[in-house]
Amino acid sequence: MHEIHSSFRALCETLQAIRETRSSNAKISFFAGFLESIDDENELALAVQFTGEGAFDDLSGKRASVGSRTSGLAAAEFCDIDYDLVFKPCRTATGSSSETIERLMANIPHAIDKRSPTERSLSQIMGIFKNLAALSGRDDKKELLHRAWSGMTPVEIKYFIRILGQGSLRIGFETRSVVASIADAFSADREEVRYAHMITGSLGKTVVLAKNQRLHEAAFRLFHPLSFMLASPVESRAVDNLTQYVAEEKFDGMRAQVHVDGKKVRIFSRDLNDITHTFPDVVSFFSDKNLPPAVFDGEICVYENETIQPFQLLQKRMGIKKPGKKVLDKYPSLFIAYDLLYTDGAPIFDLPLSERRDKLQGICDEYQVPVTAQFRVDTFNQLDERFNLALKHGNEGLMLKKTDSPYEYGQRRKSWLKVKKPGGSFDTVVMYAHAGSGKRGGTYSDFTLGISVKNDERYEEEFIPIGKAYGGYTNDELSRMNARIKKLAVERYGPTLGLIPELVVEIEFDDIQVNRRTKAGYTLRLPRFKAIRWDLGPSDVNTLQDVEAFYAKRLNEDRLAQHENPSFTF
Amino acid sequence: MLRFQKTGYHGLYFPDLGIALDGYHPESDYVFVSHAHADHMPRNRSTSAFATSATIDLMKLRGYRGEATALEFGNPLETDRFKATLYPAGHILGSAMVFLETDEGSLLYTGDYKTPPSPASEGFETPETADFLITEATFGLPIYRWKPIDELVEEIKTFATNSLNNGFTPVFLGYNLGKAQEILHILAPLRLPAMIHGAGYKLCKVYDDHNIDLGSYSAYDRDSCEGQILVAPSSALSNGFASNVSRKKVAYCSGWAANESRRTQLTAHKLIPLSDHLDFFELIRFCKELSPKKVFITHTPNPDVVQHYLDNEGIESSFLDLEAEPKD
Repeated sequence: MHEIHSSFRALCETLQAIRETRSSNAKISFFAGFLESIDDENELALAVQFTGEGAFDDLSGKRASVGSRTSGLAAAEFCDIDYDLVFKPCRTATGSSSETIERLMANIPHAIDKRSPTERSLSQIMGIFKNLAALSGRDDKKELLHRAWSGMTPVEIKYFIRILGQGSLRIGFETRSVVASIADAFSADREEVRYAHMITGSLGKTVVLAKNQRLHEAAFRLFHPLSFMLASPVESRAVDNLTQYVAEEKFDGMRAQVHVDGKKVRIFSRDLNDITHTFPDVVSFFSDKNLPPAVFDGEICVYENETIQPFQLLQKRMGIKKPGKKVLDKYPSLFIAYDLLYTDGAPIFDLPLSERRDKLQGICDEYQVPVTAQFRVDTFNQLDERFNLALKHGNEGLMLKKTDSPYEYGQRRKSWLKVKKPGGSFDTVVMYAHAGSGKRGGTYSDFTLGISVKNDERYEEEFIPIGKAYGGYTNDELSRMNARIKKLAVERYGPTLGLIPELVVEIEFDDIQVNRRTKAGYTLRLPRFKAIRWDLGPSDVNTLQDVEAFYAKRLNEDRLAQHENPSFTF
Repeated sequence: MLRFQKTGYHGLYFPDLGIALDGYHPESDYVFVSHAHADHMPRNRSTSAFATSATIDLMKLRGYRGEATALEFGNPLETDRFKATLYPAGHILGSAMVFLETDEGSLLYTGDYKTPPSPASEGFETPETADFLITEATFGLPIYRWKPIDELVEEIKTFATNSLNNGFTPVFLGYNLGKAQEILHILAPLRLPAMIHGAGYKLCKVYDDHNIDLGSYSAYDRDSCEGQILVAPSSALSNGFASNVSRKKVAYCSGWAANESRRTQLTAHKLIPLSDHLDFFELIRFCKELSPKKVFITHTPNPDVVQHYLDNEGIESSFLDLEAEPKD
């Protein structure tokens, strides 16, 4: 039998030790020591991927879609316990499904008998993740989980589930710490490792480069997406000197990165997925022009009759992998550029915005590529005027960009600021309260909010859910709400409480979308708390008709055409 | 069947016997107190309490002003209506289970208990069988299964010595009565100086009197506490306890420490699941071995789970809604 140097168990025990360590430097050197001990490069790449990204690497955009209900049901069956009667109260007590499973696996004699842990390599575990991702039925997934768990220790099972979730491992060790550990393990500069990570978009690739002292090879390449530069809301980062910024209108479209070299075109979404096939009209637009190698950052919008169309119309194209002629004719899309990242055979994201903009303008003029209009705003009055004009165009608001800033890929700092008007607000009633997990374990911090359908013949209920909101409240408000919720609770479903509809909350949202899978038929974009309306009662909440009217208004708002004071030039 | 009813928030009253357990009732001639924790100790001045001498000493230090008669383990109190015997419950010093034998059958009331017992208690003993069992089920979920006490003792000692060797002051968080003294007792063989929070300190004397070795301890003194082993309730840290000592390591000792969420809630360096209650599996086993006709479950938010497991064992049970005071 060959010896396994980097077993999954060793990784999980390291993760648990990191969890039990409080100092972040100690966590980093602990993980660095583990990375140093791994010889095999593939195993090394998986170790950092599992720790910092998940079962599948960020770039793949893949997930195994094993929900907490599936793993909970699978665990209850494995332990031979009742899911509703025993598993759920255990999960409520711990506030974590994976921790509950770990402890039941360790405690229940039946589950102990069923497991004979054997050490497995990280690539073997990767194989299991891939097999899981290929399954669609819950029963098939459960069976595979049972087989996988029967060869694991409880702590392996816990991290197996958390890694599968593609989210944080909740051990107080996020990407920045993983990057620091890679640097420490292979005596590299932390900044250099961070740069390589940004360029490659992959912790696995970064660690292999670091191990081989080849970090300098991490270079930006055409047709490989680069993490996007993100904007901060203007409220949180006060602007004191407007003259350092230029303004652009903020399009309500889909952020995209277009890589071009002559006839070859690739489009990437903000989560770095290849969405080339979804937008064949954008592809042919660029390939017809036969551009020299270039990478553009910009926004895809539906554009018709010289008018930028509402986001709701673009949404009809977003999920479609290969749109047919009918869809393309009905919702023609256009890419509007606002930044240039690569030209003349070299990346230019270290240049200040003003210089990138000059080059972008040059290319766009020569090849007739749509490009945002930039304008200076020197006073807050001008800012207001421009903001209102942007809204008339049907756009979301304004972007303020610092003229001397480099392209800060993968970061959200104050070089780019977004000035947005909230889409709208509704008074809603709290229907369900959900227990938070982790830090918020033990309090009800997430809420399902309802609108009234009392006088609506289409429904038998009084209220139906319109969205879920978490955050936007203060700690005091949260504890006051929790006190009230305990009195209103009438049903309990594991970590969820069903409430008498009495507590009214005003929520704010960016926009409304049609969603036929929900009871209301609509979902809100980015719902969040605006105020808890202790002064209002359930009869004051907005109705489904209000929601429908709001949606119709958004869709039919007159939009200023682009021939005057345009938001982009073409 | 023995008749009983609730009295107050957490007491029981047996009208046919004139007995109250862990509570006061105006008609009761005898009040048996299982132990000196606040949610079991009667407050009423007209109470005529029967308890172990350790429990009476502790009750008086915690403000009990009623009448009290000491009743030692295994030394029954007999009247024409009942025979009551106290059995060591293994929870804290003085803690007792109350065993009632009557013409209507026998009943064991556990109070809070732990088997195997806490090392800082008089041990654990039980009658072989009882017709009825009233049991607490504080940790009544299968996620709770304690490590062997030897392992926990090692964790506690290692935490203390490692912290001190690395120049840190070790702070153990544990409840003032019972847990705090248990920690001192576990650390006593190290022969290192320890300081205990004032509220727990005044209770240590009772442990001394009952020959439980608590090592060399003194009352917490802010100015000289650095470098000593410190023991305090978990609320103390946020109230300025040892806030002048910057280099300290905090270990939280409680059954609730089995839950990871306590780590961030308390910002503890280490969670040591040292409980003074029995775990879920010990509870089910205890019920099975005593094999009563019926089990009454108290002190748990999850009676359904315990009942479900007792059903599977063919033991009849029901929930007795007594309020527990949340403590560590």
